[in-house]
Amino acid sequence: MNLFIVMFKEIVDNLRDRQTVFYALLFGPVLLPLLLGGSMVASFKQLSIDFDQITRLSVVNADKAPQLIEFLYSNNVDVDPAPRNVQSSVRYGDTLVVLEIKDDFASALRAGEPAPLTLHMNNADKDSSKAARRITTLLRVYEQTINALRLQHRGIDPLTFDSLNIIQNDVSSDGANGQLLASILPFLFIMSMVMGGFYLAIDTTAGERERQSLEPLLSLPLSRTAVVFGKYGATLCFVTLSGLLTALSIYTLFKLFPVELMGGQIRFDGKTLTRAFLLASPLLLFISALLITVSAITRSTKEAQTYLGLLMVIPMAPFFLLQFLNVRSTTMSMPIPMLSQYQLLESTVLGDTIPWLHIALSAAGTLIATAVLLFLASHLYRRERLLH
Amino acid sequence: MIIARQLRKSFKPASRLSGKGKRAKRIVAVDDVSFDAADGSITGLLGPNGAGKSTTLRMLATLVSPEHGHAIIDGFDVQHDVLEVRQHLGFMPHNAGIYPRLTSRENIHYYARLCGLDNRQSQQRVGELIEQLSMSDFADRRTAGFSQGQKTKVALARALVHQPQTIMLDEPTNGLDVMATRGLRDIIRTLAANGHCIVFSSHIMQEVAALCDHIAIISNGVIAMEDTLQGILQRTAQTDLEDAFVVATRSLQDNALDTNRS
Ligand SMILES: Nc1ncnc2c1ncn2[C@@H]1O[C@H](COP(=O)(O)OP(=O)(O)OP(=O)(O)O)[C@@H](O)[C@H]1O
Ligand SMILES: [Mg+2]
Repeated sequence: MNLFIVMFKEIVDNLRDRQTVFYALLFGPVLLPLLLGGSMVASFKQLSIDFDQITRLSVVNADKAPQLIEFLYSNNVDVDPAPRNVQSSVRYGDTLVVLEIKDDFASALRAGEPAPLTLHMNNADKDSSKAARRITTLLRVYEQTINALRLQHRGIDPLTFDSLNIIQNDVSSDGANGQLLASILPFLFIMSMVMGGFYLAIDTTAGERERQSLEPLLSLPLSRTAVVFGKYGATLCFVTLSGLLTALSIYTLFKLFPVELMGGQIRFDGKTLTRAFLLASPLLLFISALLITVSAITRSTKEAQTYLGLLMVIPMAPFFLLQFLNVRSTTMSMPIPMLSQYQLLESTVLGDTIPWLHIALSAAGTLIATAVLLFLASHLYRRERLLH
Repeated sequence: MIIARQLRKSFKPASRLSGKGKRAKRIVAVDDVSFDAADGSITGLLGPNGAGKSTTLRMLATLVSPEHGHAIIDGFDVQHDVLEVRQHLGFMPHNAGIYPRLTSRENIHYYARLCGLDNRQSQQRVGELIEQLSMSDFADRRTAGFSQGQKTKVALARALVHQPQTIMLDEPTNGLDVMATRGLRDIIRTLAANGHCIVFSSHIMQEVAALCDHIAIISNGVIAMEDTLQGILQRTAQTDLEDAFVVATRSLQDNALDTNRS
């Protein structure tokens, strides 16, 4: 009960603060999408992927086919040992694709029979199917070389069997632009959530100490837990409001732009944005807790702004990390708050199927981190040092 | 009613520069404070700056807990029955600490709700207080930019909102002009006449002499003397409180020297 009284008061109080309202209702939801979305659209079609890049491929039984491995190597593919559980490793994105060389590969080849190979891939994952396409193309080339040798061995000109000479000329940008545009969605979401609660969190904790209104408040007959959670609740309201408004404005913004024409299979329709919001919703709790806890530690609003300003790197870090390093969604990255939501939201916009395990891990990791932060915050409020 | 016995509190010094290497010495804010404050009377905690008045009141208000000693407020122990003590206590700290973006009425209403009054009761009580403290001129204005006197009134109304039996005011007349000080004194006298226990701290002799039934002189964290104004003047053989204060604190220092020697 007291919790709601504190929460309601903080909301009313902060709705009267121009700065808080500007950042919660205008900066994140309107200004940021316009600025970023606008410049993104302008810089379209400037990026492409380098296909001569060296890639790595996990191979089971690599020693059974040394010539094939040699061939792959000369075509910029480096071979890695295979993970223990091939199926689940590929399924959960820990490995892109795995080439399995069957035990009887060499003997079949010698006997002039079709030699068995299995390529494990995940068609729901854009990166995996892209890698699979590349490996398949290489294997076809290798197959043609063997065919040619076999035919020559029997005195037949291999060219007799090449009735068509197909040259593929791929002009699409293969998702490069789409990828960048897709990564904007999580960035906008997370940034506006943080900005939405930023000033309220500082005002209700460090600000209250600075105004010296904390001392009389804590001498009232109510538990300090109610005080902390009331302030947390108020922050959560602002963060959620900001997040919702951002979803709405992204929806409107991309309705105006013909995204389909801009290369890429990205979606910004209502259903996708709803899914994205739901996937990001554990972050609402996490971000509010982070804001409240950090500003509760600090002594003044100025100090709080400095610390939180530095902390702003956290929501931005995955954005740049994923841009340049291409960190992939794996079972390992999923329990990490922020990073996992970046990846999940990106996949959502790109239309990839997301394994339930990933969704569960992401939510669980984020909620556990939230609980730890809230525990810390209520501990801070029980200390005497809070008052001076 | 307040019974305080041998309260002690020390703080770690804020600066980390002083205690390089070895552990920095703790600052003893309150060393040995015992006094009584009865219902229906006004008790003054008189002491110079840094004597430990605010720290004593903070311990009584359950904001910090004493390292030693104990205190009972209206039958409840400040360390064990925290919520009951807070329910019986109205505390107005040194700085008003009101919310600048809320109106006077909203400031008081917030505290009323937190003290357990429902919306209707709270509105009624806030109305009463606004009338009682003659605040109607600025009741519905946001408190940003209020004069010191107006701020003090809002803070006082907040402290009184749950009709506490015991009321503690930390230097309430700070920054008030003559008329406002007189107004506040009248309010305090009325509260005492209605049976409330009032404790207020001050470093101004005349004020304490004019208002208090009972005086506790505090210096360097120790109560030097505790009695009625008459009693203190008699015991120190002086005719005004200022001289009595000097004598009382000097005798305290002598005592301290004696105990150090022995
Ligand atoms: N949080 C704290 N950290 C360190 N020292 C403190 C702290 N609080 C009080 N002190 C010290 O304890 C002593 C007593 O302080 P206190 O505020 O109780 O004095 P006071 O009698 O209220 O003085 P004033 O009349 O100036 O308000 C002072 O020396 C002060 O510096
Ligand atoms: Mg003081």
